[in-house]
Amino acid sequence: MKKDLMEILACPLCKGPLQLNAEEEDEKEVVKGSLYCASCSVSYPIEDTIPNLLPPEVRNQDREVA
Amino acid sequence: MAKRNAGEIKKFVRERYASIARRQSASCCPPQSSEAASCCTPSAQETSPAQRLYSKEELDALSVNITSMGCGNPVALAELRPGEVVLDLGSGGGLDCFLAAQRVGPQGKVIGLDMTLEMIQLARANARKLSMDNVEFRLGEMEHMPIESGSVDVVISNCVINLSPDKDAVFQEVFRVLKPGGRLCVSDIVTHGELPPQIREDLEQWAGCVAGALDEKVYLDKIRAAGFEKARVDWVSHLVCGEEEAGCGIEAGLGDRIASVTVKAFKPS
Repeated sequence: MKKDLMEILACPLCKGPLQLNAEEEDEKEVVKGSLYCASCSVSYPIEDTIPNLLPPEVRNQDREVA
Repeated sequence: MAKRNAGEIKKFVRERYASIARRQSASCCPPQSSEAASCCTPSAQETSPAQRLYSKEELDALSVNITSMGCGNPVALAELRPGEVVLDLGSGGGLDCFLAAQRVGPQGKVIGLDMTLEMIQLARANARKLSMDNVEFRLGEMEHMPIESGSVDVVISNCVINLSPDKDAVFQEVFRVLKPGGRLCVSDIVTHGELPPQIREDLEQWAGCVAGALDEKVYLDKIRAAGFEKARVDWVSHLVCGEEEAGCGIEAGLGDRIASVTVKAFKPS
């Protein structure tokens, strides 16, 4: 995920701002980390540079399938 | 939704499109690519919907083989300007995002949203091959967009909104994320007249862009109900998804009741 596109991001549930927690970065983007919504107390993972912003219940449903 | 529940539909659609991404070819529509795929029969190449929907210049400008499952060319009608922020709903392999990215230029941005991880991975791989820096793909749902309100100039989409079991939510979300004066320019499947109930209940037909399609008038009314003005059909074709092709999801004899349209609407300034 590129940091300069962070400004357009919002929590899919409350549409509020997200806080970036980068665990691993290269020159261009965040490779691993998370996006945290303080008002929903929900953390959205960034894995392999892809932010997973599916609503939590959909994300968990997929995990059950996999 | 009558009998199928929304979660069941979404799960089926997501799994179907994940498997399409893994194969890098479409089931709803025949494979479309910017290069003639070697596995295609000569006749499939001649009638490729990509070649009907996109100009040769557009396809030649993208040097990689990109699968698309669209039914129109929203970018061609969106009148994109340099510097604009574009959101593509159901970005798939990324073809429309890349075409949009060329038009908005380095000062502009394109965000592709898709609910299928495999499609996002495919689109990102394509973006890397094309060295496109002003495109970003996010895993998310169009009914719950992870996008800040009032941050987008243009929302595009190509044959995807019909797949949603909650189209009211989609159009409300589009309205929310657009800037005042922003516009919606989407290609989609609509119906002209009733479809048989057994088609409406068939998940295969849902994933094939038919069962979830709304009547054209209902589609426009839902857009207006979300707050949009000047909603209109800009382009219509009855030759959708290569209806002469097998496995298209369109039953024989329904061709005249199913159309591909490109719809435009504006958020008041």
